[in-house]
Amino acid sequence: MSKIVRKIRPSEYWRIGEHESYFSDMSLKGLHLHKIGTYFIHFKKGEPKRIEYRMEVTKKKSITYEQIDLYEENGWEYVTSYQYFHVFSSLEESNAPEIHTDPAEQAYTLQRLSKILLVNLIAMSLAVALMIGLLSATWFLDGTPVLRLVEGYIIQQSIMSILFLYYVYYSIQATRAIRSLKRDLNEGKAINHHAPWQSSLHKNAIFPFFYAGIALVSAILPVMQLIKMDTYTLPQEDGGLPIVRLADIEQNPLLQRDEYYIDEVDWANRYSTNWSIFAPVQYETDEGGIVEGRMWLDESGTYSPSISSEIYELTFQAFAAPLVKDLIKWNSYKEEIDSYVEIDHATLDELRVHEEEEQKQIVAVKGKVVMYVRYYGYADVDHLIENVAQKIEVFAEKENT
Amino acid sequence: MSYNGGPMTEAMYYVLLALIRPNHGYQLMQSITEVSRGRLKMGPGTLYGVLSRMQKDGLIVLAKDDGRRKTYEITKEGEQALRVEYERLKSLINDSRILEEANDE
Repeated sequence: MSKIVRKIRPSEYWRIGEHESYFSDMSLKGLHLHKIGTYFIHFKKGEPKRIEYRMEVTKKKSITYEQIDLYEENGWEYVTSYQYFHVFSSLEESNAPEIHTDPAEQAYTLQRLSKILLVNLIAMSLAVALMIGLLSATWFLDGTPVLRLVEGYIIQQSIMSILFLYYVYYSIQATRAIRSLKRDLNEGKAINHHAPWQSSLHKNAIFPFFYAGIALVSAILPVMQLIKMDTYTLPQEDGGLPIVRLADIEQNPLLQRDEYYIDEVDWANRYSTNWSIFAPVQYETDEGGIVEGRMWLDESGTYSPSISSEIYELTFQAFAAPLVKDLIKWNSYKEEIDSYVEIDHATLDELRVHEEEEQKQIVAVKGKVVMYVRYYGYADVDHLIENVAQKIEVFAEKENT
Repeated sequence: MSYNGGPMTEAMYYVLLALIRPNHGYQLMQSITEVSRGRLKMGPGTLYGVLSRMQKDGLIVLAKDDGRRKTYEITKEGEQALRVEYERLKSLINDSRILEEANDE
């Protein structure tokens, strides 16, 4: 049983001469090429020997028996294959005839690969461009990129598209390298089977691992989000949640819930939880009530106040200010955006209020907590502000301890 | 790239020449060396490439395939292409007489 030694596979697989030279140098150290995998090259430990290696490129991912036989009859032993590349070896002392005696003829062997690489590159570039186009639309079309970031629904896709973008760059390198090798061969420049490999071959070798690592970690994000995402019926009493409650605002014992149940959740009186790396605690709430015997002032129907809110606890405080802007933009009509008034508050870091008849909108910041509240009803806006300040205070303190 | 009647590579020319008599891989290499009187030693990779390309272009065909050993022979088109190339090379030589005459003076 001989021992197998694994080495990280160079990512620049198109450097044929450098690979041949690398395998020869490894054999001098007693590590003889055995197998080429996706991430590792396997070497068999043995006696140090002077061995020549040649990498052959074929039209298909397999090599024919006929080709192997012809090479073996000439003293070149078949070692292993990786996709379009096939490695043959020969003891230096056996003086086997050179496999390719005509560089221009060898150039033909790269023709098919060169074409495949180009077609793949074009197809992939189009796909990645489409993907990035769609994603950018999601990020920027509403003009609320910080809100999108904090919600975290498209972070994983964005990381993936950046990785794909790198892959496009990598494919461009491969395509160009094979094309230029083909050109060199056509001009009669043979491959240097002893090209120095130390600096060129292993410089980016670690990248595939880095790449796979990021892809793996980013794949956890949506799973994590799915685990943390849920919707519950709001409890009748406070429940220790950092949510501004309709009963506290209205302070009317006649207020009753306006219920709307689907699948055992009262969607008119609910709170939903969410998670993202930039806002690990998130709530979105709706609450609606009805006061029998009281009418809206315009006699349009029974008085039915409601409150909706969004609460974010951010990872980085720096996102608070841009998030405020995005929340206003996302939740308001165009003409409302400019009518928010900034108010100095004793305990809040930032407070913006918009009031228009029975609709009141508030965005408040305290530390890393950002809260948006929209209320329809006749309660006083100052009363609403104090409730927001109190809930946000409790939440910010709880998260700090 | 299929053969379009232009100048042949040396490898193509000699393989066609050697395949006037049907032959298979390993022996073919030796008969090329023979035909070229030792001047041309063709590597197995070059030979394999030329064979598969010329087979695709219809210049040669598989005459016999008993499992692993494949015997090739030249086709009518191949022979014609070889003769056209031979004529071209001959006129090359003819035109090069100038060199000999220059030497004589």
